[in-house]
Order: sequence, then structure tokens, then C-alpha cells
Amino acid sequence: MLYFTLASKAYSRNLQYRGAHMVHNLASAMFGYMYACLWIGIGADHSLGEYGTQGMVSYIAFTQSSLWISGFLTNGLGIPLTVRTGQIALDLMRPVHLFTHLMAREWGQISYQFVYKSIPIYLLFSIVFSLQWPSEASTLLFAAIGLAGASYLSICMNYIIGATAMWTTESSWLHWGNHAMMNLLAGFFIPLEWLPDWLERIAWLSPYPFLLYVPTRIYLGYENGSLLWGTLIWCVLMTFVCLAITQVLRRKVEVQGG
Amino acid sequence: MKTTSWLTLYKMLIRTSIRSRMQYKFNFVMASVLAALIQISEFLMVALVLHKFGAIKGWSLHEIGYLFAIMTLSKTLYRTFGNEVHHLEKYLVGGELDQLLTRPMPVLLALLPQNFRIMAGEVLQGGFILCWSLAGMMHSGQIGWTVIPFSLLVILTGAIILFSIGLATATLGFWTTRIEELQTITEDAARTAAQYPLTLYPKWMSGILLTVIPVGFVNYVPSLYLLRGELGAWVLGAIIVVAVLSLAASLRFWKFGLTKYQSTGS
Repeated sequence: MLYFTLASKAYSRNLQYRGAHMVHNLASAMFGYMYACLWIGIGADHSLGEYGTQGMVSYIAFTQSSLWISGFLTNGLGIPLTVRTGQIALDLMRPVHLFTHLMAREWGQISYQFVYKSIPIYLLFSIVFSLQWPSEASTLLFAAIGLAGASYLSICMNYIIGATAMWTTESSWLHWGNHAMMNLLAGFFIPLEWLPDWLERIAWLSPYPFLLYVPTRIYLGYENGSLLWGTLIWCVLMTFVCLAITQVLRRKVEVQGG
Repeated sequence: MKTTSWLTLYKMLIRTSIRSRMQYKFNFVMASVLAALIQISEFLMVALVLHKFGAIKGWSLHEIGYLFAIMTLSKTLYRTFGNEVHHLEKYLVGGELDQLLTRPMPVLLALLPQNFRIMAGEVLQGGFILCWSLAGMMHSGQIGWTVIPFSLLVILTGAIILFSIGLATATLGFWTTRIEELQTITEDAARTAAQYPLTLYPKWMSGILLTVIPVGFVNYVPSLYLLRGELGAWVLGAIIVVAVLSLAASLRFWKFGLTKYQSTGS
């Protein structure tokens, strides 16, 4: 119940800024539109494998919309800010586990972004590019599971990045580094099979493909749900890392301000 | 006060700003290296696609690298001197602009040196990609060495155009207070779009990028002449005219906006 309240508060706090977010959606849609135009330009002279030009446009539309639930999360789940203000000491004293506490709040944020950002942007792309929707319910179900797993993985990654703020004042660079990795290894702009062989192999050793590439492939009907096992394995692994980090955090609390 | 005195004052304010920034030398070096790496990863995204498919609408990797590098360097030059214009929202919301208004100098002159930003990472990344793409095109005989000095001119006019777009967007803040969302469109999205040949986009969009938000003149239009010999030498004159006109228009708009300023702070 507590976690639900935390999530719903985070959701409703965002409702105050709906107007500004709609302007931001327009900007986000413009980025997606631009990337789609790039693929349309490339598709004019080359065949684009199993996707074809329309397939690549659908691919970009889905990854750009998904970014709001698996990419653009609160920087370090807000930990760097609480370390700066000293609030982290109080957060650690609460009778709620820090990881689950911050996670509940982030799920509220993600739900908001899904409803007010991902869906409107995808609807806009659907109209502009006349996108086809999946016809089978199982495809939608597997894609939804893939996306939920992607959000969870991203929460864990942001938690780990946020936790480093306890030891360094430069954790925001890890945040940007994470974004850079997403650009290259998550299949945000280029499907992984088109990466150079060595880079593709590196990508599959990391959790990044499960953030965007896997849910997108499933949604577009190029994969069945079997890749979701990978999502599950990474979710379990990441959970252990986050719990272990919290243990260390509890022993060594250092605040920068207060 | 005479212009020379204003310049002396400006230089002094910038020196102070740099000195305060250099208090954390390790942070500065680390941030610069990471910034360069992160920026390069963005270019890699496109480079990988070009590596696989070759040219995009007839534009080679070197040519797109040139578009990309000019945009990065122009933006870097603009943000080095005019970073605070981009962050005007903070002054509007917190009421800090009130303090600057009371100083016996033009508001812009007081605002700009507040945070002189040394962006070594971006210079590294942009410089590296620029040298690499120029060397590649010279090697294949596509361009001669004269492109180098002209590129410096293009970076300068580009910075002025980007500054003008930034200033005009910031000025809208005098009416709306919040400008960040708008900046994502007029500065970030527009700039990213112009990192690629404008022929990729539908006519209405390239039209906007050449008139309403003239980012096309930062890199694309001059590249047409410098790299591909299209249009004519008049292009170089045209970008200077566009830069001067944009600057004059945005400064006028800024002055008008200032008269509408209402403090929101305490």
C-alpha cells in the first residue's frame, strides 16, 4: 500500500506540468521524425533487410516512444540530489528499504511518462507514418512484458549510477555515459544486427539490448517471446547488485551538504 | 562609457569567471574527456550506419562528418560565451535578473560573463571530426586547402546564428517565464536536424530550418558550396548577411522583451 501511494504521488505530481510536457512531446516527436527521415533517405538507395523502409520507420517510432519508459528516467533516481542536500541520511533511516522506496516512486514517474509521453508520441507517429499495429494479442502481451522488464532494468541501472554519488561528485557523467551506451548498444537508432560483428557481441554481453531492441523486435513481430528470458536473467542479476550496493551504502553514509 | 572600457570590463569579468571554474582542476579535465567521448558516441551512431550503407542521399561519411563537426564547433563557440543566455530561465524564475538590471551596464554584458564555460571536450570532439573529415576529402581531391580558412569563417558565423536563435528563444521567457521546453525545439532539435543534409527532410521542414530557425545556414548551405561546388561563392557573403541580420533582429527583440520583464523572485 505504501509503495502504491509513493507511486501514485509521483504520478500526480507530474500532472501539474502536463502543458509543458506536451511541448516537450512535440520536441521528442521531432527527433523521432528526423531519425525516420534519415532511414527513409537511406532506404531510397538501399534495401533495408527484413525491415524495408516502412519497417525501419516503425522501428524508430517504437524506440523513440519507448525511450520515455526505459531511457529517460530520473537521473540516478534522485540520489545525487539527496546526497548533495543531506536528505540521503534521512532516507536511509526510514523503515523502508531505500531501493524499493525509490523504485516505487520511479514506477509512478514511468507510468506517467507512459500515459502522457509514450502513448501520445506513438499515436502521432501512427498517424504521420500510417503505422500498422500488431494484430495478435500475444505479440502485444510479450511486448508489454518486455517493456516492463526494460523499465525495471533501467530503474536498477539508475539506482547503481545514483549510488555512486556517495563516492564521487561526478556521477552525472555516468548518467550521460549510460545514455551514450544506449545510443550505441541498445539498438535505439540502428538494429543490433547491423552493428560491426565485434560491437554486436559486446552489446549482447550487456543489458542494453533488453532496454529497447528486444521489446521493439517483439512488438514488430520479428521475434517470439523467447528473448524475454534474457530480460528476466538481467532483472534478477541487477536486483542482486542493487541490494548489495544498498548494504554498502548503509555502512558508509557521506553527505555533501545539509 | 566608451566601447574600449566596456571591452576591458568584459575581459575582466570573464577572467574572474574562468578563475572560479579552475578551482576544481581534476573535475575539469575529467569532465572534458568524458564529454568528448560521449559526444563522439553520438557521431558513431551515424558513422556505423554510413559504414554499412555508404552514402545517405549522395552525402558521404566525410561530408556528413563535416556538417556534424561545424555544428558542434559553432555551438561550442556560442555556449562558451553565451551559456547564460541558454540558462536564462534560472534567472527569470529565481529573480536573479533583478540584480543584473541594477548594474550600471547593459544587461547582456552583465549576464554573459556570469559563467564563461570552457568546453574542452566539445572542442576536442568537434576538432577531431573536422580534421578527420577535411583530411579525408582533401586526400580524395574533393576539396583544396582553401576550405580550411573558410571553415573557420563558417564556424564563426554559425556561432552568431546559433547565439541569435538562443537569444530570441530566451527573450520569449519574458512573457512565458519557462523556456526550457521551447529550447529543446528551437535549439536542440533544430541543431540535431541540421547535422544531416537538409534534403533528407520534407520541403516544409527544410523550409523552416532555413527561414524561421535558420540553422541550415550554420553548416548545410556553406557546405553545399565548399564541399560540393554547388550554388556559388556568393554563399559565403550570404551566410555573413544572415548572421548579421539574425543578430540584429534578436538583439532588438531582446531589448523589447526586457521592457516587458516582470520580476518573479523575492
